[in-house]
Amino acid sequence: MSVNITSYLLVALILFCVGLYGALTKRNAVIVLLSIELMLNAVNINLVAFAKYGLFPAVTGQIFTLFTMTVAAAEVAVGLAILIALYRNKETVNVDEMDSMKR
Amino acid sequence: MDTLMQYAWLIPLFPLLAFIVIVSFGRQLKEGAAAVGILLTAVSFGVAALTFWQRFQEGASDYTFSLDWLQVGDIVITMGFEVNQLNAMMLVIVTLVSLLVQIYSKGYMHGDERFPVFYQYLALFTFSMLGLVISPNLLQVYIFWELVGVCSFLLVGYYYFKPEAKAAAKKAFIVTRIGDLGLFIGICLLFWWTGSFEFTQIFDSIALGKLEPWMITLAAILIFVGAVGKSGQFPLHTWLPDAMEGPTPVSALIHAATMVAAGVYLVAATYPLFLASETALDVVAYVGGFTAIFAASIGLTQRDIKRVLAYSTVSQLGYMMLALGVAGAAGYVAGTFHLMTHAFFKALLFLAAGSVIHAVHTQDVFEMGGLWKKMPVTALTFLIGCLAIAGIFPFAGFWSKEAILSAVYEAHRFDLLWLAIIAAFFTAFYMFRLFFLTFAGEPRGRRDGHESPGVMTGPLLILAVLAIGAGFVNTPYAPYLTKWLLSGETGAAITAGFGEGTGHAAAWLQIVALLVSLLGIVLAYLMYGKRYIPADAIPEAMPWLYQLSYRKYYIDELYHYVIVRPLGWLGLLLDLIDRYVVDGLVALTAKITRGIGSLHARAQNGQVQSYGAVVLFGLLLLVVAISLTAQGGGFFGQ
Amino acid sequence: MTGEFLAFFILSLLTIGGAVFMISFTRVVHMVISLGITFISIAGLFVLLGAEFVGVAQVLVYSGAISILMLFGIMLTKHNASDEGTGRSWKNIFSLVFVAGLFGLMFWGIQKTVWTAPPEGAAAQTASVKQLGVEIFTKYVIPFELVSVLLLVALVGAIIMAKKEGDSE
Repeated sequence: MSVNITSYLLVALILFCVGLYGALTKRNAVIVLLSIELMLNAVNINLVAFAKYGLFPAVTGQIFTLFTMTVAAAEVAVGLAILIALYRNKETVNVDEMDSMKR
Repeated sequence: MDTLMQYAWLIPLFPLLAFIVIVSFGRQLKEGAAAVGILLTAVSFGVAALTFWQRFQEGASDYTFSLDWLQVGDIVITMGFEVNQLNAMMLVIVTLVSLLVQIYSKGYMHGDERFPVFYQYLALFTFSMLGLVISPNLLQVYIFWELVGVCSFLLVGYYYFKPEAKAAAKKAFIVTRIGDLGLFIGICLLFWWTGSFEFTQIFDSIALGKLEPWMITLAAILIFVGAVGKSGQFPLHTWLPDAMEGPTPVSALIHAATMVAAGVYLVAATYPLFLASETALDVVAYVGGFTAIFAASIGLTQRDIKRVLAYSTVSQLGYMMLALGVAGAAGYVAGTFHLMTHAFFKALLFLAAGSVIHAVHTQDVFEMGGLWKKMPVTALTFLIGCLAIAGIFPFAGFWSKEAILSAVYEAHRFDLLWLAIIAAFFTAFYMFRLFFLTFAGEPRGRRDGHESPGVMTGPLLILAVLAIGAGFVNTPYAPYLTKWLLSGETGAAITAGFGEGTGHAAAWLQIVALLVSLLGIVLAYLMYGKRYIPADAIPEAMPWLYQLSYRKYYIDELYHYVIVRPLGWLGLLLDLIDRYVVDGLVALTAKITRGIGSLHARAQNGQVQSYGAVVLFGLLLLVVAISLTAQGGGFFGQ
Repeated sequence: MTGEFLAFFILSLLTIGGAVFMISFTRVVHMVISLGITFISIAGLFVLLGAEFVGVAQVLVYSGAISILMLFGIMLTKHNASDEGTGRSWKNIFSLVFVAGLFGLMFWGIQKTVWTAPPEGAAAQTASVKQLGVEIFTKYVIPFELVSVLLLVALVGAIIMAKKEGDSE
């Protein structure tokens, strides 16, 4: 029994799907942001796994992971800022009630 | 001078020109429209007469001219005209009667508000009828046939503000339509089987034996159905008496002399087709014979002067069909001959009746009487017409009716001969009943009569002369018409098949015919002239017989209950289907579309998560599509 | 049963468990806590994969900064909201179906693919921090600079977005 690449890929896949489900169904906006972070993490696992077990193992995968982590952090900051501004206007963080784009 | 027949195509065009001029300038012309119509019709008559004279020369031959009109695959349809003996004669008859009627109408319709409109319709009708007789192919005949029907509708419904006139016009059009349908199917069948509409080609195909017997019979009978409709034979006769709602000149022109003769003309023009099928000829003869006596029996009891004349027309047309149907050259000549004489004396009778109606303002004979003194010219010409139609020597009707009886006798059709003779008796009787009730005795109504103006009596006199003299073109002792009609190509076809009839079988037949007619006249005199025999004798003895005749054998009621009512219900049913089923389906489609739309509109709720779910779905589809179809068996296979 | 396998098993169990609990808890703060566990387990997975620097970065950035940021967000906006739950609406059911579909599809894909093993000897190249540094500052220096600019932009943007309206400069 060895750990090969498919195991890591499967783990990443499960995390991704769980995160996707959460992003699409949760009502609290903060939780939606959280689920998005989960998805990004799953991608990171994928990258690092390929960096070690892929066809051309190199360090590029890890570098890319660092970059995505940075971007994720920036995104969280901005996302929360938007959320706070929205909360200030609508007094709620329920995504259900944010439907100004409705016809 | 063969070149004169080349211009025969002008003959219908003059009335057409009259129509166009009157339509354009009618309002300004008012009663001047009559002058336009009369003038152009006179020119047309002149050309027709010249054409006839040309054709009459010894050694003249048929003239045909055609232009290619349509090309459908291999088949070329042409338009053109031809001049043969039958045509030339018809051209003269139609133009002459139309001219006389137009002159008469100037007086009769004087003061009518829509005077120019009347002349428009008359001109259009003349054009259509003339076009019909010079057509060389069935398609053209059909086109003009329909045009003539339209003109009849317009003219019968001239007094359109009267509901009876409207109904009569509709009835005329619809009943003749039934006949037209038969004609149309016949034309289509002939085209399908012989590949052409042209008369000459169809006759050649038949002569060469390209068609089977049943095909010929079927086509001939269908064409005869068209003639039945247009000429008012049983069972499509019901429109003719009602068509008397139109002005009297219309009745004279259309329903006596020309349009109803179109049916007879059609049978005569396609005679080689009929000759090839004995069954078709029998159908023609029996329908004609039956109609002759049937209509005559109805005419015995009618009160309206124009209706009696209408039934008389139906009856006389029956005679013509009978003559054509007994086959042979004798029948052909007799039928055509009677067509000519009938045109003259029936037009005369109608115009004279119109003169009477114009004077006394009623059409019921039981309200007339004693008009002999007050309207001498009218009375005299009416008398001449009656003598002609009753077949008294030496008037025109005698010679033509005798020709028919001889033809029937020669063909050994004794049952039909009896029918014809009895019908002749009836004819004489009811015509003279009409005469005595109108002109003899004491005035019954309080109407005052006065003689009609010259424009009206002039044509009467001309027609009276023709009614006397037209018969002499074909007496048994000098059969000019027979010789002339049977020369030429069509005549050759007829005589080849059946031999040349003599047209005067036996002198005793002439005498019998004469006696029968005289008997009728005497009886009428006794009953209505001198009142020795009370007119109510038979009605009181056998009231049901009287009722049958007076109520036209209840045929109109029969048609109404058997055909018209069920059609009305069918129409109602179809209307319901249209409203609830067809419209319902359409509305249902709209509802479904709206429903689907509103269902999907629920997806537009403004929430990002819903949109995200849809995006995910699209992504899934894309991945599936790519993975399954990319080269090499998809991304996941290797 | 190697140690590596055991470690992987435990770590992945923690990861997935954390994620699933995050989905199923009702109170928001519990969700954040379980996600924190997930982040740390992922860091362990990174270490197992030989990417120690990335693992440390993961702990620092994710379970350190981002989780705390989320908690801040919750505290500032109705933090005692416990009616967090996914309703049973059409949208949620569809999402579940589609996500399951995606999972199935990718699972099938992963199973079908033939993963060629890397050539021997290349795996011996363990990535060290030094190597990472060399790569970043030679081959990937431009993305590196861009990312720093991005961070700056995000910082400024976040401040502006979160500022109270009507405040003058």
